[in-house]
Amino acid sequence: MIIHGGALHQGVQPLTGGGANRDTHGVRSILITGGNGGLGRGIGRYFLEKDLDCRVWLGVRSNRQDAEALAAEFPERCSLLDLDVTNARAWEAAVATIVEADGRLDVLVNNAGMHRDHLLAAMPTESWHEVISSNLDSVFHGCRAVVTSMMRQRFGRIVNIASLSAILPPMGQTNYAAAKAGVVAFSRTMAKEVARAGITVNCILPGYIETEALSGMDEEAKKAARQGVPMRRFGRPEEVASAVFFLACHEAGYVTGSALKIDGGIF
Amino acid sequence: MEESSEKQRANEMSQGPELRQKIKEVMVEELMLDQEPSTIGDATPIFGAGGLGLDSVDALQLVVALDKHFALKIGNSDAAKGILESVDTIAREIEKVA
Repeated sequence: MIIHGGALHQGVQPLTGGGANRDTHGVRSILITGGNGGLGRGIGRYFLEKDLDCRVWLGVRSNRQDAEALAAEFPERCSLLDLDVTNARAWEAAVATIVEADGRLDVLVNNAGMHRDHLLAAMPTESWHEVISSNLDSVFHGCRAVVTSMMRQRFGRIVNIASLSAILPPMGQTNYAAAKAGVVAFSRTMAKEVARAGITVNCILPGYIETEALSGMDEEAKKAARQGVPMRRFGRPEEVASAVFFLACHEAGYVTGSALKIDGGIF
Repeated sequence: MEESSEKQRANEMSQGPELRQKIKEVMVEELMLDQEPSTIGDATPIFGAGGLGLDSVDALQLVVALDKHFALKIGNSDAAKGILESVDTIAREIEKVA
């Protein structure tokens, strides 16, 4: 279901041609999940500002106010899409909507996710399932939903937002770290399976990024966290977005199965 | 009615070699095979030793390509095994559903 956007599909022409080295310059159709969050909006804005020929679809659920504000800034090129990323049928419907509107789907950014931190001994079973579902199942459903369309196009770019927790997990995140490590392994496996089809699959592992994800930390905790970052600062959403933008571009066609840390030097 | 069937069969006969050639071209292009379409025999096994040696990833790509170029929909892996044996078996399936 398209929530926002006007006569946005007029003038959008499906790209033509084929082959793994096809030129993708022209209108690109991009789906970003978690579109209402700080990182999702940051990625969306980056694409909208840097690529004037792209069309951005922001996947949202109940929280959509901030995403609507971004879409209102780019009414011809940005739309909201109601998408429960944990639901396979919702994914199929979303992809069908985009392909019907744009004739193709070039880029999928699996950004939606959440965490419910508890020490393992006190972790409710539902917290485990909820985090695995929103962070890992969602990537499975999303990638499976887009892969046939991208194979038909002989082109696709998938960027999965994992987390530094995948490789440097803090206490209290057995669920989140396991899910994000799963995203990395999933991405590397899928990258091999679809490489011949001109589809790349990469991961980004953000460290501390200035979004609402840090809102649960008090000032003391933030100060301590900054001390652990060699750059002594948190990252900005656009610093993650620029990496996503690169991995989604035509020139990154030989980069696949990679996991890029963006964390100010933590390791 | 009989005459019409004969005509249709004649058309298919004349289209058969062209269809097989087109299938080979699609295979070379979509699967990025490092060989000329003309070097693929109509009955050459697509998978396994002694044939083109393609693998399961190629099979998936081929299923998508056949739908894209010939509107041939292959519903499941059991059906795929029979249809994707050779260019001949693919052509016969396309002709059957045309």
